[in-house]
Amino acid sequence: MTENDEIKRLLSAIAFQNDQAAYKELFILLHNRLKQFGYAILKSNEEAEELVSDIFIKVWEKKEKLTTIESPLLYFYTTAKNLAFNRLQKQKRLQSLKPEEWLMQVNSIYLNPEELMMTAEMLNKIKRAVNDLPPRCKLIFKLVKEDGLKYREVAELLQLSVKTVEAQMAIALRRLGKCMHIELKTAAVRSLH
Amino acid sequence: MSYQEFFWVLFSKKLSNEATTSELKELENLIKDYPEWQYAIQNLEDLWKHQKAKDYGHEEDAYMLHIHRMKELGIPFGEMPDSVMPAKSKKRRILWYSAAVAAMLIAGFFLIGSFSAKNKKSQTPIAREVNEISTRPGSKSRVELPDGSIVWLNAGSKLTYNKDFGIDKREVTLVGEGFFDVTKNKEKPFIISTASINIKVLGTVFNVKAYSEDKQTETSLLHGSIEVTIKNRPSDKIILSPSEKLIVENRITSVEANGFKKNKEQIIRTTIPDINTLVSISKLNYSPADSSVAEAQWINNKLIFRDETFSDLATQMERWFNVSIEIKNEKVAQERLNGTLETETITQALDALQITTSFRYEKTGNKVIIQ
Repeated sequence: MTENDEIKRLLSAIAFQNDQAAYKELFILLHNRLKQFGYAILKSNEEAEELVSDIFIKVWEKKEKLTTIESPLLYFYTTAKNLAFNRLQKQKRLQSLKPEEWLMQVNSIYLNPEELMMTAEMLNKIKRAVNDLPPRCKLIFKLVKEDGLKYREVAELLQLSVKTVEAQMAIALRRLGKCMHIELKTAAVRSLH
Repeated sequence: MSYQEFFWVLFSKKLSNEATTSELKELENLIKDYPEWQYAIQNLEDLWKHQKAKDYGHEEDAYMLHIHRMKELGIPFGEMPDSVMPAKSKKRRILWYSAAVAAMLIAGFFLIGSFSAKNKKSQTPIAREVNEISTRPGSKSRVELPDGSIVWLNAGSKLTYNKDFGIDKREVTLVGEGFFDVTKNKEKPFIISTASINIKVLGTVFNVKAYSEDKQTETSLLHGSIEVTIKNRPSDKIILSPSEKLIVENRITSVEANGFKKNKEQIIRTTIPDINTLVSISKLNYSPADSSVAEAQWINNKLIFRDETFSDLATQMERWFNVSIEIKNEKVAQERLNGTLETETITQALDALQITTSFRYEKTGNKVIIQ
Protein backbone atom coordinates (compact mmCIF):
# COMPACT_ATOMS: atom_id res chain seq x y z
CA MET A 1 0.00 0.00 0.00
CA THR A 2 1.44 3.38 -0.94
CA GLU A 3 1.41 6.27 1.48
CA ASN A 4 -1.28 8.00 -0.57
CA ASP A 5 -3.47 4.90 -0.19
CA GLU A 6 -2.84 4.90 3.55
CA ILE A 7 -3.82 8.57 3.79
CA LYS A 8 -6.94 7.89 1.73
CA ARG A 9 -7.92 5.10 4.11
CA LEU A 10 -7.50 7.40 7.12
CA LEU A 11 -9.42 10.21 5.43
CA SER A 12 -12.34 7.83 4.73
CA ALA A 13 -12.38 6.65 8.34
CA ILE A 14 -12.45 10.28 9.49
CA ALA A 15 -15.22 11.23 7.05
CA PHE A 16 -17.51 8.22 7.38
CA GLN A 17 -17.00 7.20 11.01
CA ASN A 18 -15.91 10.45 12.65
CA ASP A 19 -12.93 8.31 13.67
CA GLN A 20 -10.80 10.32 16.10
CA ALA A 21 -8.11 7.65 16.25
CA ALA A 22 -7.66 7.85 12.47
CA TYR A 23 -7.53 11.63 12.72
CA LYS A 24 -4.78 11.39 15.32
CA GLU A 25 -2.91 8.81 13.24
CA LEU A 26 -3.00 11.09 10.21
CA PHE A 27 -1.80 14.04 12.27
CA ILE A 28 1.12 12.04 13.60
CA LEU A 29 1.95 10.69 10.15
CA LEU A 30 2.19 14.10 8.52
CA HIS A 31 2.98 16.57 11.31
CA ASN A 32 6.77 16.69 11.02
CA ARG A 33 7.06 16.99 7.26
CA LEU A 34 4.34 19.60 7.00
CA LYS A 35 5.89 21.60 9.82
CA GLN A 36 9.30 21.45 8.11
CA PHE A 37 7.74 22.54 4.83
CA GLY A 38 5.88 25.34 6.60
CA TYR A 39 9.08 26.38 8.36
CA ALA A 40 10.92 26.53 5.03
CA ILE A 41 8.44 29.18 3.86
CA LEU A 42 7.62 30.99 7.11
CA LYS A 43 10.98 30.65 8.89
CA SER A 44 9.33 30.55 12.30
CA ASN A 45 8.74 27.47 14.43
CA GLU A 46 5.61 28.78 16.14
CA GLU A 47 4.06 29.85 12.87
CA ALA A 48 4.88 26.50 11.28
CA GLU A 49 3.27 24.67 14.22
CA GLU A 50 0.15 26.82 13.86
CA LEU A 51 0.14 26.19 10.15
CA VAL A 52 -0.04 22.42 10.68
CA SER A 53 -2.83 22.93 13.20
CA ASP A 54 -4.70 25.09 10.65
CA ILE A 55 -4.35 22.38 7.99
CA PHE A 56 -5.83 19.77 10.34
CA ILE A 57 -8.67 22.07 11.37
CA LYS A 58 -9.53 22.22 7.67
CA VAL A 59 -9.32 18.41 7.49
CA TRP A 60 -11.85 18.05 10.32
CA GLU A 61 -14.20 20.72 9.02
CA LYS A 62 -14.14 19.62 5.39
CA LYS A 63 -13.75 15.90 6.03
CA GLU A 64 -16.68 14.87 3.82
CA LYS A 65 -15.07 16.50 0.80
CA LEU A 66 -11.64 15.00 1.26
CA THR A 67 -12.55 11.42 0.40
CA THR A 68 -12.46 12.04 -3.34
CA ILE A 69 -8.98 13.54 -3.57
CA GLU A 70 -6.81 11.71 -6.08
CA SER A 71 -3.46 12.62 -4.55
CA PRO A 72 -3.93 13.47 -0.85
CA LEU A 73 -0.23 14.05 -0.13
CA LEU A 74 -0.16 16.75 -2.79
CA TYR A 75 -3.37 18.17 -1.30
CA PHE A 76 -1.69 18.55 2.12
CA TYR A 77 1.39 20.26 0.68
CA THR A 78 -0.65 22.55 -1.56
CA THR A 79 -2.83 23.51 1.40
CA ALA A 80 0.30 24.13 3.48
CA LYS A 81 1.73 26.33 0.72
CA ASN A 82 -1.50 28.30 0.26
CA LEU A 83 -2.04 28.86 3.99
CA ALA A 84 1.60 29.90 4.40
CA PHE A 85 1.27 32.32 1.47
CA ASN A 86 -1.84 33.85 3.10
CA ARG A 87 0.21 34.45 6.22
CA LEU A 88 3.09 36.00 4.28
CA GLN A 89 0.74 38.30 2.39
CA LYS A 90 -0.90 39.47 5.61
CA GLN A 91 2.54 40.20 7.02
CA LYS A 92 3.66 41.83 3.72
CA ARG A 93 6.65 39.46 3.51
CA LEU A 94 6.30 39.14 -0.25
CA GLN A 95 9.96 38.31 -0.87
CA SER A 96 9.46 34.94 0.87
CA LEU A 97 6.89 33.82 -1.71
CA LYS A 98 9.68 32.74 -4.09
CA PRO A 99 10.75 29.11 -3.70
CA GLU A 100 14.41 30.20 -4.03
CA GLU A 101 13.96 31.93 -0.66
CA TRP A 102 12.66 28.86 1.12
CA LEU A 103 14.95 27.24 3.67
CA MET A 104 14.47 23.51 3.49
CA GLN A 105 16.44 21.28 5.85
CA VAL A 106 17.24 17.73 4.85
CA ASN A 107 17.14 15.51 7.93
CA SER A 108 17.42 11.91 6.85
CA ILE A 109 21.09 12.20 5.91
CA TYR A 110 22.13 12.79 9.52
CA LEU A 111 22.61 9.20 10.50
CA ASN A 112 24.55 6.80 12.57
CA PRO A 113 27.39 5.64 10.29
CA GLU A 114 27.49 2.17 11.81
CA GLU A 115 23.84 1.60 11.08
CA LEU A 116 24.36 2.78 7.56
CA MET A 117 27.65 0.94 7.13
CA MET A 118 29.58 3.94 5.87
CA THR A 119 32.48 5.81 7.37
CA ALA A 120 31.80 8.89 9.48
CA GLU A 121 34.07 10.82 7.15
CA MET A 122 32.00 9.87 4.14
CA LEU A 123 28.77 10.74 5.93
CA ASN A 124 30.14 14.15 6.88
CA LYS A 125 31.02 14.80 3.26
CA ILE A 126 27.54 13.78 2.20
CA LYS A 127 25.98 15.95 4.89
CA ARG A 128 27.96 18.94 3.66
CA ALA A 129 27.11 18.20 0.04
CA VAL A 130 23.39 18.11 0.89
CA ASN A 131 23.61 21.37 2.83
CA ASP A 132 25.44 23.04 -0.04
CA LEU A 133 22.82 22.12 -2.63
CA PRO A 134 21.20 25.18 -4.25
CA PRO A 135 17.94 26.01 -2.35
CA ARG A 136 15.53 24.90 -5.04
CA CYS A 137 17.46 21.67 -5.66
CA LYS A 138 17.53 20.90 -1.93
CA LEU A 139 13.79 21.60 -1.64
CA ILE A 140 13.02 19.17 -4.47
CA PHE A 141 15.38 16.53 -3.08
CA LYS A 142 13.78 16.72 0.36
CA LEU A 143 10.24 16.57 -0.99
CA VAL A 144 11.03 13.47 -3.05
CA LYS A 145 13.38 11.60 -0.73
CA GLU A 146 12.03 12.39 2.72
CA ASP A 147 8.46 13.45 2.19
CA GLY A 148 7.58 10.83 -0.40
CA LEU A 149 6.15 13.09 -3.12
CA LYS A 150 6.17 11.88 -6.71
CA TYR A 151 7.99 13.92 -9.38
CA ARG A 152 4.70 15.13 -10.88
CA GLU A 153 3.40 16.10 -7.43
CA VAL A 154 6.51 18.19 -6.77
CA ALA A 155 6.20 19.71 -10.24
CA GLU A 156 2.60 20.69 -9.57
CA LEU A 157 3.30 22.01 -6.09
CA LEU A 158 6.20 24.19 -7.23
CA GLN A 159 4.75 25.00 -10.66
CA LEU A 160 7.66 23.46 -12.53
CA SER A 161 7.87 20.96 -15.37
CA VAL A 162 8.47 17.29 -14.53
CA LYS A 163 11.66 17.54 -16.64
CA THR A 164 12.99 20.23 -14.30
CA VAL A 165 12.29 18.03 -11.26
CA GLU A 166 14.10 15.16 -13.03
CA ALA A 167 17.12 17.33 -13.77
CA GLN A 168 17.28 18.75 -10.23
CA MET A 169 17.13 15.27 -8.70
CA ALA A 170 19.94 14.14 -11.00
CA ILE A 171 22.07 17.11 -9.89
CA ALA A 172 21.47 16.33 -6.22
CA LEU A 173 22.38 12.65 -6.55
CA ARG A 174 25.39 13.34 -8.72
CA ARG A 175 26.75 15.61 -6.01
CA LEU A 176 26.20 12.90 -3.41
CA GLY A 177 27.84 10.36 -5.71
CA LYS A 178 30.93 12.55 -5.83
CA CYS A 179 31.30 12.06 -2.06
CA MET A 180 31.68 8.33 -2.65
CA HIS A 181 35.05 9.02 -4.34
CA ILE A 182 33.68 8.01 -7.65
CA GLU A 183 32.98 10.54 -10.30
CA LEU A 184 32.05 8.69 -13.42
CA LYS A 185 35.18 9.72 -15.30
CA THR A 186 35.15 7.05 -17.93
CA ALA A 187 31.66 7.93 -18.99
CA ALA A 188 32.12 11.68 -19.09
CA VAL A 189 33.96 11.73 -22.39
CA ARG A 190 31.39 9.72 -24.28
CA SER A 191 28.26 11.42 -25.36
CA LEU A 192 24.92 9.96 -26.02
CA HIS A 193 23.90 9.50 -29.61
CA MET B 1 22.91 14.88 -22.82
CA SER B 2 26.17 13.22 -21.83
CA TYR B 3 26.31 9.62 -20.66
CA GLN B 4 26.92 10.91 -17.14
CA GLU B 5 23.91 13.18 -17.01
CA PHE B 6 21.80 10.43 -18.50
CA PHE B 7 23.04 7.98 -15.87
CA TRP B 8 22.18 10.30 -12.98
CA VAL B 9 18.71 11.08 -14.35
CA LEU B 10 17.93 7.36 -14.68
CA PHE B 11 19.50 6.44 -11.35
CA SER B 12 17.65 9.12 -9.37
CA LYS B 13 14.43 8.02 -11.10
CA LYS B 14 15.10 4.46 -10.02
CA LEU B 15 15.64 5.48 -6.39
CA SER B 16 12.50 7.62 -6.39
CA ASN B 17 10.42 4.80 -7.92
CA GLU B 18 9.80 6.95 -10.97
CA ALA B 19 11.58 4.87 -13.58
CA THR B 20 9.67 2.92 -16.21
CA THR B 21 10.60 -0.67 -17.03
CA SER B 22 12.49 0.37 -20.15
CA GLU B 23 14.38 3.06 -18.22
CA LEU B 24 15.36 0.50 -15.59
CA LYS B 25 16.65 -1.74 -18.36
CA GLU B 26 18.62 1.10 -19.91
CA LEU B 27 20.14 1.88 -16.52
CA GLU B 28 21.03 -1.75 -15.99
CA ASN B 29 22.86 -1.83 -19.31
CA LEU B 30 24.75 1.36 -18.46
CA ILE B 31 25.83 -0.15 -15.13
CA LYS B 32 26.86 -3.39 -16.82
CA ASP B 33 29.20 -1.43 -19.09
CA TYR B 34 30.72 0.37 -16.11
CA PRO B 35 31.05 -2.09 -13.18
CA GLU B 36 33.26 0.42 -11.35
CA TRP B 37 30.14 2.49 -10.66
CA GLN B 38 28.81 -0.28 -8.47
CA TYR B 39 30.42 1.09 -5.31
CA ALA B 40 28.82 4.53 -5.47
CA ILE B 41 25.53 3.04 -6.64
CA GLN B 42 25.34 0.61 -3.75
CA ASN B 43 26.17 3.29 -1.19
CA LEU B 44 23.64 5.73 -2.60
CA GLU B 45 20.98 3.02 -2.61
CA ASP B 46 21.75 2.25 1.05
CA LEU B 47 21.64 5.93 1.91
CA TRP B 48 18.35 6.35 0.09
CA LYS B 49 16.62 3.40 1.70
CA HIS B 50 17.82 4.21 5.17
CA GLN B 51 15.08 5.77 7.26
CA LYS B 52 15.70 7.61 10.48
CA ALA B 53 14.00 5.90 13.41
CA LYS B 54 10.87 7.92 14.11
CA ASP B 55 10.42 9.48 17.50
CA TYR B 56 6.74 10.09 17.97
CA GLY B 57 6.91 11.74 21.42
CA HIS B 58 7.07 15.18 19.88
CA GLU B 59 4.13 14.55 17.56
CA GLU B 60 1.98 13.36 20.48
CA ASP B 61 2.60 16.67 22.24
CA ALA B 62 1.90 18.61 19.06
CA TYR B 63 -1.35 16.69 18.64
CA MET B 64 -2.53 17.52 22.19
CA LEU B 65 -1.72 21.18 21.56
CA HIS B 66 -3.66 21.07 18.33
CA ILE B 67 -6.74 19.54 20.00
CA HIS B 68 -6.48 22.16 22.74
CA ARG B 69 -6.27 24.93 20.14
CA MET B 70 -9.32 23.60 18.29
CA LYS B 71 -11.27 23.73 21.55
CA GLU B 72 -10.15 27.29 22.21
CA LEU B 73 -11.17 28.30 18.69
CA GLY B 74 -14.60 26.76 19.38
CA ILE B 75 -14.36 24.07 16.72
CA PRO B 76 -16.53 21.08 17.68
CA PHE B 77 -14.50 17.89 17.82
CA GLY B 78 -16.36 15.69 20.33
CA GLU B 79 -14.87 14.43 23.57
CA MET B 80 -11.19 14.81 24.20
CA PRO B 81 -9.72 11.34 24.03
CA ASP B 82 -8.55 9.97 27.39
CA SER B 83 -9.38 13.11 29.42
CA VAL B 84 -13.07 12.18 29.67
CA MET B 85 -13.95 8.54 29.80
CA PRO B 86 -17.53 7.82 28.77
CA ALA B 87 -19.01 4.43 29.58
CA LYS B 88 -18.78 3.30 25.97
CA SER B 89 -15.07 3.79 25.66
CA LYS B 90 -14.49 2.23 29.09
CA LYS B 91 -16.13 -0.91 27.78
CA ARG B 92 -13.93 -0.71 24.71
CA ARG B 93 -10.88 -0.51 26.91
CA ILE B 94 -11.81 -3.69 28.75
CA LEU B 95 -12.41 -5.41 25.44
CA TRP B 96 -9.05 -4.25 24.18
CA TYR B 97 -7.44 -5.43 27.39
CA SER B 98 -8.86 -8.94 27.16
CA ALA B 99 -7.84 -9.11 23.53
CA ALA B 100 -4.30 -8.21 24.54
CA VAL B 101 -4.28 -10.92 27.23
CA ALA B 102 -5.54 -13.46 24.70
CA ALA B 103 -2.85 -12.39 22.24
CA MET B 104 -0.17 -12.81 24.91
CA LEU B 105 -1.44 -16.28 25.74
CA ILE B 106 -1.31 -17.30 22.08
CA ALA B 107 2.17 -15.82 21.74
CA GLY B 108 3.15 -17.81 24.85
CA PHE B 109 2.03 -21.05 23.26
CA PHE B 110 4.05 -20.28 20.20
CA LEU B 111 7.10 -19.54 22.30
CA ILE B 112 6.79 -22.82 24.18
CA GLY B 113 6.20 -24.58 20.87
CA SER B 114 9.28 -23.14 19.23
CA PHE B 115 11.40 -23.86 22.31
CA SER B 116 10.55 -27.54 22.30
CA ALA B 117 11.06 -27.65 18.54
CA LYS B 118 14.49 -26.13 18.99
CA ASN B 119 15.46 -28.64 21.64
CA LYS B 120 14.43 -31.49 19.43
CA LYS B 121 16.45 -30.11 16.58
CA SER B 122 19.68 -29.88 18.51
CA GLN B 123 19.29 -33.52 19.50
CA THR B 124 18.80 -34.71 15.95
CA PRO B 125 22.07 -35.44 14.18
CA ILE B 126 20.61 -34.18 10.85
CA ALA B 127 20.92 -30.58 12.04
CA ARG B 128 24.66 -31.03 12.37
CA GLU B 129 25.13 -32.11 8.78
CA VAL B 130 27.64 -30.03 6.90
CA ASN B 131 27.69 -28.66 3.36
CA GLU B 132 31.12 -28.35 1.83
CA ILE B 133 32.10 -26.58 -1.37
CA SER B 134 35.69 -26.71 -2.53
CA THR B 135 37.63 -25.62 -5.59
CA ARG B 136 40.68 -27.30 -7.09
CA PRO B 137 43.82 -25.32 -7.88
CA GLY B 138 43.33 -23.55 -11.20
CA SER B 139 39.54 -23.29 -10.90
CA LYS B 140 37.00 -20.92 -9.31
CA SER B 141 33.43 -21.29 -8.25
CA ARG B 142 30.37 -19.15 -7.44
CA VAL B 143 28.16 -20.29 -4.57
CA GLU B 144 24.76 -18.99 -3.58
CA LEU B 145 23.96 -19.60 0.09
CA PRO B 146 20.41 -20.30 1.36
CA ASP B 147 20.03 -16.67 2.55
CA GLY B 148 20.80 -15.31 -0.92
CA SER B 149 24.37 -14.29 -0.09
CA ILE B 150 26.87 -14.92 -2.88
CA VAL B 151 30.39 -16.26 -2.40
CA TRP B 152 32.99 -16.54 -5.13
CA LEU B 153 35.60 -19.13 -4.19
CA ASN B 154 39.08 -18.70 -5.58
CA ALA B 155 41.31 -21.61 -6.59
CA GLY B 156 42.20 -24.19 -3.95
CA SER B 157 39.64 -23.00 -1.37
CA LYS B 158 36.97 -24.59 0.81
CA LEU B 159 33.75 -23.17 2.25
CA THR B 160 31.67 -25.13 4.76
CA TYR B 161 28.39 -24.43 6.52
CA ASN B 162 25.88 -26.42 8.54
CA LYS B 163 22.64 -27.63 6.99
CA ASP B 164 20.76 -25.39 9.43
CA PHE B 165 22.52 -22.29 8.06
CA GLY B 166 20.22 -19.29 8.20
CA ILE B 167 17.70 -20.75 10.65
CA ASP B 168 19.12 -19.30 13.88
CA LYS B 169 22.40 -17.93 12.66
CA ARG B 170 24.55 -17.61 9.57
CA GLU B 171 27.95 -19.20 10.07
CA VAL B 172 30.49 -20.42 7.54
CA THR B 173 34.12 -21.48 7.71
CA LEU B 174 36.63 -20.59 5.03
CA VAL B 175 39.99 -21.97 4.06
CA GLY B 176 41.46 -20.14 1.09
CA GLU B 177 40.05 -17.06 -0.63
CA GLY B 178 36.44 -15.96 -0.94
CA PHE B 179 34.72 -12.83 -2.20
CA PHE B 180 31.53 -12.31 -0.19
CA ASP B 181 28.43 -10.37 -1.10
CA VAL B 182 26.36 -10.85 2.03
CA THR B 183 22.60 -10.23 2.12
CA LYS B 184 21.59 -7.78 4.84
CA ASN B 185 19.98 -9.22 7.95
CA LYS B 186 20.52 -7.34 11.19
CA GLU B 187 18.92 -10.09 13.28
CA LYS B 188 21.22 -12.80 12.00
CA PRO B 189 24.80 -11.60 11.64
CA PHE B 190 26.90 -13.48 9.09
CA ILE B 191 30.00 -14.98 10.70
CA ILE B 192 33.02 -16.30 8.83
CA SER B 193 35.63 -18.32 10.71
CA THR B 194 39.11 -18.76 9.33
CA ALA B 195 42.11 -20.34 11.00
CA SER B 196 43.27 -17.06 12.51
CA ILE B 197 40.31 -14.65 12.53
CA ASN B 198 36.53 -14.42 12.85
CA ILE B 199 34.61 -11.89 10.79
CA LYS B 200 31.16 -10.67 11.74
CA VAL B 201 29.04 -8.78 9.22
CA LEU B 202 25.46 -7.65 8.86
CA GLY B 203 25.46 -7.29 5.11
CA THR B 204 28.20 -6.00 2.86
CA VAL B 205 30.81 -6.81 0.18
CA PHE B 206 34.34 -7.89 1.00
CA ASN B 207 37.15 -10.29 0.19
CA VAL B 208 38.84 -12.72 2.59
CA LYS B 209 42.14 -14.37 1.77
CA ALA B 210 43.04 -17.04 4.29
CA TYR B 211 45.16 -19.71 2.62
CA SER B 212 46.88 -21.91 5.14
CA GLU B 213 50.18 -21.76 3.20
CA ASP B 214 50.21 -17.93 3.07
CA LYS B 215 52.03 -15.82 5.65
CA GLN B 216 49.07 -13.51 6.17
CA THR B 217 45.29 -13.46 6.34
CA GLU B 218 43.87 -10.50 4.46
CA THR B 219 40.39 -9.01 4.80
CA SER B 220 39.52 -6.33 2.24
CA LEU B 221 36.34 -4.33 2.67
CA LEU B 222 34.77 -2.81 -0.43
CA HIS B 223 31.78 -1.24 1.22
CA GLY B 224 29.78 -1.54 4.41
CA SER B 225 31.32 -2.37 7.74
CA ILE B 226 32.64 -5.55 9.33
CA GLU B 227 33.91 -6.56 12.72
CA VAL B 228 37.00 -8.76 12.94
CA THR B 229 38.21 -10.68 15.98
CA ILE B 230 41.57 -12.38 16.01
CA LYS B 231 41.18 -15.87 17.37
CA ASN B 232 43.75 -15.71 20.14
CA ARG B 233 42.90 -12.15 21.13
CA PRO B 234 39.12 -12.44 21.45
CA SER B 235 38.69 -9.26 23.48
CA ASP B 236 40.05 -7.03 20.70
CA LYS B 237 37.47 -6.13 18.10
CA ILE B 238 38.60 -4.40 14.95
CA ILE B 239 36.00 -2.50 12.95
CA LEU B 240 36.97 -2.06 9.32
CA SER B 241 35.78 0.90 7.26
CA PRO B 242 35.17 0.77 3.51
CA SER B 243 38.33 0.67 1.35
CA GLU B 244 40.40 -0.72 4.21
CA LYS B 245 42.36 -3.93 4.34
CA LEU B 246 43.24 -5.79 7.52
CA ILE B 247 46.32 -7.96 7.45
CA VAL B 248 46.97 -10.50 10.20
CA GLU B 249 50.26 -12.36 10.28
CA ASN B 250 49.44 -16.06 10.29
CA ARG B 251 52.88 -17.14 11.46
CA ILE B 252 52.85 -15.05 14.62
CA THR B 253 49.35 -16.04 15.60
CA SER B 254 50.21 -19.70 15.28
CA VAL B 255 53.34 -19.22 17.37
CA GLU B 256 51.19 -17.57 20.01
CA ALA B 257 48.61 -20.29 19.79
CA ASN B 258 51.29 -22.86 20.42
CA GLY B 259 52.87 -20.89 23.21
CA PHE B 260 49.55 -20.31 24.90
CA LYS B 261 49.40 -23.74 26.43
CA LYS B 262 52.99 -23.64 27.63
CA ASN B 263 53.26 -20.30 29.33
CA LYS B 264 50.40 -17.87 29.68
CA GLU B 265 52.49 -15.06 31.13
CA GLN B 266 54.95 -15.13 28.29
CA ILE B 267 52.20 -14.64 25.75
CA ILE B 268 50.88 -11.57 27.49
CA ARG B 269 54.36 -10.13 27.37
CA THR B 270 54.90 -10.96 23.74
CA THR B 271 51.49 -10.09 22.30
CA ILE B 272 51.15 -6.59 23.71
CA PRO B 273 54.27 -5.07 22.22
CA ASP B 274 53.60 -7.06 19.08
CA ILE B 275 50.22 -5.54 18.33
CA ASN B 276 51.60 -3.32 15.60
CA THR B 277 53.45 -6.04 13.78
CA LEU B 278 50.75 -8.59 14.23
CA VAL B 279 47.90 -6.62 12.74
CA SER B 280 47.95 -3.81 10.26
CA ILE B 281 45.30 -1.85 8.43
CA SER B 282 46.02 -0.35 5.03
CA LYS B 283 44.06 1.18 2.18
CA LEU B 284 42.82 -0.97 -0.68
CA ASN B 285 44.65 -0.77 -3.99
CA TYR B 286 42.34 1.16 -6.28
CA SER B 287 43.29 1.19 -9.91
CA PRO B 288 43.27 4.88 -10.90
CA ALA B 289 42.13 4.07 -14.44
CA ASP B 290 38.77 2.57 -13.59
CA SER B 291 38.46 2.67 -9.77
CA SER B 292 38.41 -1.11 -9.57
CA VAL B 293 39.86 -2.76 -6.50
CA ALA B 294 42.91 -4.95 -7.07
CA GLU B 295 42.03 -7.22 -4.14
CA ALA B 296 38.75 -8.27 -5.74
CA GLN B 297 39.83 -8.55 -9.37
CA TRP B 298 40.39 -12.29 -9.23
CA ILE B 299 36.66 -12.77 -9.65
CA ASN B 300 37.09 -11.11 -13.07
CA ASN B 301 39.88 -13.56 -13.90
CA LYS B 302 42.61 -11.03 -13.21
CA LEU B 303 45.53 -11.80 -10.95
CA ILE B 304 46.70 -8.41 -9.74
CA PHE B 305 49.80 -7.94 -7.62
CA ARG B 306 50.98 -4.70 -6.03
CA ASP B 307 54.42 -4.49 -4.47
CA GLU B 308 54.56 -8.20 -3.72
CA THR B 309 57.64 -10.36 -3.54
CA PHE B 310 58.20 -12.87 -6.32
CA SER B 311 57.94 -15.70 -3.80
CA ASP B 312 54.50 -14.49 -2.58
CA LEU B 313 53.40 -14.09 -6.18
CA ALA B 314 54.69 -17.60 -6.97
CA THR B 315 52.44 -19.05 -4.24
CA GLN B 316 49.46 -17.32 -5.84
CA MET B 317 50.49 -18.44 -9.34
CA GLU B 318 50.72 -22.02 -8.11
CA ARG B 319 47.06 -21.91 -7.15
CA TRP B 320 46.03 -19.85 -10.14
CA PHE B 321 47.65 -22.04 -12.80
CA ASN B 322 47.72 -25.30 -10.84
CA VAL B 323 51.49 -25.71 -11.08
CA SER B 324 54.31 -25.97 -8.58
CA ILE B 325 56.96 -23.25 -8.63
CA GLU B 326 60.36 -23.38 -7.06
CA ILE B 327 62.56 -20.27 -6.90
CA LYS B 328 66.17 -21.26 -6.48
CA ASN B 329 67.65 -17.75 -6.58
CA GLU B 330 66.99 -15.92 -3.24
CA LYS B 331 67.57 -12.48 -4.84
CA VAL B 332 64.85 -13.16 -7.42
CA ALA B 333 62.53 -14.52 -4.71
CA GLN B 334 62.75 -11.20 -2.79
CA GLU B 335 62.25 -9.02 -5.89
CA ARG B 336 59.15 -6.79 -5.54
CA LEU B 337 56.69 -6.85 -8.41
CA ASN B 338 53.68 -4.97 -9.75
CA GLY B 339 51.39 -6.10 -12.54
CA THR B 340 48.26 -7.82 -13.82
CA LEU B 341 47.94 -11.30 -15.26
CA GLU B 342 44.78 -11.95 -17.21
CA THR B 343 43.69 -15.41 -18.42
CA GLU B 344 47.16 -16.18 -19.65
CA THR B 345 48.95 -19.51 -19.52
CA ILE B 346 51.75 -20.00 -17.03
CA THR B 347 54.30 -19.71 -19.85
CA GLN B 348 52.79 -16.44 -21.12
CA ALA B 349 52.71 -15.12 -17.56
CA LEU B 350 56.35 -15.99 -16.91
CA ASP B 351 57.39 -14.48 -20.27
CA ALA B 352 55.59 -11.27 -19.33
CA LEU B 353 57.30 -11.17 -15.93
CA GLN B 354 60.67 -11.56 -17.64
CA ILE B 355 60.21 -8.16 -19.31
CA THR B 356 60.58 -6.33 -16.01
CA THR B 357 62.50 -8.84 -13.91
CA SER B 358 65.55 -10.75 -14.97
CA PHE B 359 65.32 -14.48 -14.30
CA ARG B 360 65.43 -17.75 -16.17
CA TYR B 361 62.89 -20.51 -15.91
CA GLU B 362 62.49 -24.15 -16.87
CA LYS B 363 59.11 -25.82 -17.17
CA THR B 364 58.68 -29.57 -17.12
CA GLY B 365 55.06 -30.72 -16.95
CA ASN B 366 53.44 -28.97 -14.02
CA LYS B 367 56.71 -28.04 -12.41
CA VAL B 368 58.47 -24.69 -12.87
CA ILE B 369 61.97 -23.95 -11.67
CA ILE B 370 63.08 -20.30 -11.53
CA GLN B 371 66.71 -19.26 -11.34
